[in-house]
Amino acid sequence: MKISGVVTLRAPGGRVWTGLTDPAVLLATIPGCERLEPAGPGSCRFAARAKIASIEGSYTGEVSVSQQHEPSSFVLTVNGAGAPGAVSASVQVRLAETAGGSTELSYDADAVIGGLIAGVGRRVLCSAARRIADDFVSSVDDVLAGSAIAGNAIAGTGMVSPPPAERAAEPPAEPEAALVPATPVPAAIAVPAAVSVAAAAPSIAVPVPAAVSSIAAPVADIQVPAAFARGVLVGAASALAGVALAGLIERRAR
Amino acid sequence: MSSLFGARVQRVEDDRLVRGHGAYLDDLGPDSLAAAFVRSPHAHARITDIDVSGALDVPGLVAIYTYEDLPARLAEPLPLLIPHPALTHGRTPYPLANGEVNHVGEAIAMVVAADRYLAEDAADLIDVSYEPLPAVVGLDAARAAVHLVHEDVPGNRAANEVQEHGDTAAAIAAARHVLELDLEIERSASTPLEGRGVLARWDEQSQHLVMWTSTQTSTGVRAAVAAKLGLDLTQVDVITPDVGGGFGVKIVHPWPEEVLVPWAARLLGRPVKFTEDRREHFIASAHERGQQHHVSVGYDDEGRILGLDVRFWHDNGAYVPYGLIVPIVTSTQLLGPYKPAAYRVEFDSLYTNTVLVTPYRGAGRPQGCFVMERTMDAIAAALGLDRTAVRERNFIQPAEMPYDHGLIFQDGRPLIYDSGDYPALLTKIKDLVGWDKFAPLKEAASAEGRRIGIGLACYVEGTGVGPYEGGHVVVETSGKVKVATGLTSQGQGHQTMLAQLVADELGVPIADVEVVTGDTRRFGYAVGTFASRTAVMSGSAVTLAARKAKEKALRVAADAMEVAAADLEITGGMVQVKGDPDSGISLGTVAVLSNPLRYAFDDAAKAATQFAGGGDMSKPPVAPDDEPGIEGRAYFSPVRSTFASGIHAAIVETDPDTAEITILRYCVVHDCGLLINPQIVEGQIHGGVAQGVGGALYERMAYDEEGQLVNASFMDFLMPYVSEVPREVEIDHLETPSPLNPLGIKGAGEAGVIPGAAALAAAIEDAEGIPVRSMPISPSELFELRRAHGQETR
Repeated sequence: MKISGVVTLRAPGGRVWTGLTDPAVLLATIPGCERLEPAGPGSCRFAARAKIASIEGSYTGEVSVSQQHEPSSFVLTVNGAGAPGAVSASVQVRLAETAGGSTELSYDADAVIGGLIAGVGRRVLCSAARRIADDFVSSVDDVLAGSAIAGNAIAGTGMVSPPPAERAAEPPAEPEAALVPATPVPAAIAVPAAVSVAAAAPSIAVPVPAAVSSIAAPVADIQVPAAFARGVLVGAASALAGVALAGLIERRAR
Repeated sequence: MSSLFGARVQRVEDDRLVRGHGAYLDDLGPDSLAAAFVRSPHAHARITDIDVSGALDVPGLVAIYTYEDLPARLAEPLPLLIPHPALTHGRTPYPLANGEVNHVGEAIAMVVAADRYLAEDAADLIDVSYEPLPAVVGLDAARAAVHLVHEDVPGNRAANEVQEHGDTAAAIAAARHVLELDLEIERSASTPLEGRGVLARWDEQSQHLVMWTSTQTSTGVRAAVAAKLGLDLTQVDVITPDVGGGFGVKIVHPWPEEVLVPWAARLLGRPVKFTEDRREHFIASAHERGQQHHVSVGYDDEGRILGLDVRFWHDNGAYVPYGLIVPIVTSTQLLGPYKPAAYRVEFDSLYTNTVLVTPYRGAGRPQGCFVMERTMDAIAAALGLDRTAVRERNFIQPAEMPYDHGLIFQDGRPLIYDSGDYPALLTKIKDLVGWDKFAPLKEAASAEGRRIGIGLACYVEGTGVGPYEGGHVVVETSGKVKVATGLTSQGQGHQTMLAQLVADELGVPIADVEVVTGDTRRFGYAVGTFASRTAVMSGSAVTLAARKAKEKALRVAADAMEVAAADLEITGGMVQVKGDPDSGISLGTVAVLSNPLRYAFDDAAKAATQFAGGGDMSKPPVAPDDEPGIEGRAYFSPVRSTFASGIHAAIVETDPDTAEITILRYCVVHDCGLLINPQIVEGQIHGGVAQGVGGALYERMAYDEEGQLVNASFMDFLMPYVSEVPREVEIDHLETPSPLNPLGIKGAGEAGVIPGAAALAAAIEDAEGIPVRSMPISPSELFELRRAHGQETR
């Protein structure tokens, strides 16, 4: 099944690209994300919770990024599974500057769903996925627009990330320490101040901090920081945990 | 023990049901998820979007399904159950609408949730966008075909059929007298006390589906569900629980809910239940009866019909899953007890954007009877002859039986009346109602300023329709007799009637006989309950099965008692030498003896174990052509239907000012062959008469021109109360045995309703002196008729 959407974010494209690469942002905005850690070149392992209709549960899996064309597009591949079911999806993400200095983010997802979650009906899955995706992107929009990260509860974690002002004030050596729940995120995900949320990122071409690029053992041609890949893909993964299926429901119903 | 055949045995079902120990569909499956449906509010529309986002937050929501979720077999239209060569443009619905809806009430989405309240909450929050299309409502609009219900059905015509014997046009042309009449009957609906319901439970481990559904055919539903879900027949069992009335609407299968609910149960791994509410029954089940007729009849000076030409238009609603049964029954049963020299009938079955039409008690006969009987009365009026005299002259005489009309009946077989004595019926009804003594009563009433009138109507009903039914009888070692037949019960007293037959045949007390109907686990080959067929079909089958069991019992007993089987009889559950009660052994003991055991499970069983003694050591314990146990299984399949008949007469009073119609007397003479249980037959007649009164005076489906059913509740759809039905229905019986089954019986289920509208119309016409050509007729309509005929109101 395919779902797609277009959302306009207030921040310009470069800041969006940057924001999407900032794990602090991502952990504050991805609905239901509980954990993420590097798993190899261009990929991450994630753990997230999602609720579709009355089926609530945890999913774990892997996401990876490919076909990147900074700053305008990339493809995510997600594979996740949990008690409620399994998700396998491929998402094309595009960023485009608009005339007013905003950014238009469009996503096209193609997903296959199996397990219990496949039984809720295509429209429920579609609708739920779209809602999660929209929640995520609008949270990112809020954060980038300067709204406090405080008050942005992390779905499923019960934790609230501190406001951006605090984060800009201190060297964010371990910014995620305040954000990350019980399961610690490896320090490798620490992001240098250069990619802090509060900083304006006038250009799209954000230099990849060496510290970050060394963390995730990025694929040589990846321009996007591994953290970006991880973060965005984790967000998409939890978003797509509810993405509607194509033929799997039919096949399962035999 | 005297025979139970013909006895007024108290119904065995009633104690349990009256005490509230019935188990109807909604009593079952308390742990199941609940299904509710989003249904079309438009009579004809394209669906442009279905937005479920508003429903996502309803607690306990489990799933929402639309057409796109359906697997291949379910994504096809539902089966067209009864194909017919004349049905050239048959259309059936999809289980969930596929982009287009064709009547108010058509299912668009199925919601499954923790309970029905939550499911309905979710359904209410689903936002469907429509592009309304022009709706075709009523026969006039369907015939004009300015708009089409289905784009690929020209003229809205699903079918056109002609049947004829003789040269009718020539006969009418040559006749001395010719009359033309237009007659119309409105839609009504079965309206059982209990609506439809389905419960399904899928067991993943055994890969087995069990369904309960309030249906008239368990085997029909099982076959359809197995086909639609891609399961083997043995993977599916269907059980009909206690059913609160069917009257025809529950013979249709599979309803969309009957395939969607088991599909969801399997998909979700949880039991799922659906029970419809009253509004749903009005807009999402089935209606019946709307027809327009044009009659052209040529007759002689005595009122004998030389040529009868009937052209009619049948409103079949948006779809025709049940094929053309209703108009075919009208076509053939319109003839009643008469033998017109030439007869031609032609009908168009037309689509409208309204609920689909399937048989309702009578199944097309009430319309046919109305047409024929009004025509007879019109002939009598034209010639100034007594209405019974004209009928008498047209009767098929007993000596002419079997009588072949040269037409094909609804069972696909020739329309041949096997037996009946119509002149005798007429004599009885005239006696019962006092036909010849009415004139002075009418004058006396008139002198008091009252208007009373008398009318009568005759009918013939093809009953015991095939192809077959089966029965199984087994005697347990306790002496209890267990009977099973595959068709279903909706409150007719089958368990009593069938127990009477088996108890009689086997010679056991009726209290020891237990009958199960409509459970595929107990009996897998069956057709269903409709067309007044249970007594004829299942009655004959269980009788034959009981005979087999009895034969076996006598043989085993004869062996054990060392006497000839011919010298034995079974009475009161004891097998004894004829006339010698002390010699008897119980039937239960015989059952023990019939099953050679290695292991004794109780004291009685010891007698059958290998060291118990006796037995011929040179022969095997079970002979090569034999089986253990006392059982019989038999099927009954008649060569054609058997024809019941009857006449109703009514005396009504109409109020000169308010036009209110009161039934003063209602008389029934009926012939359903031999009677198994006269009390049950009378109950059937009473119920049928009540429905006949409803159809004559109250019931109609009021559709507006947009296809909205404006009276879809009991506030506005009028059904007769006890106060509207005659307090006493006077009944007399005639019994002309049927030669087509071993019991000599005919069906009795529908007889009560068939001539109701015709008899009451005739009585009202007699009281008013105004022709009554359409039914139902309410006081307002009678008032208007009076005005139209220039009568003054006082």
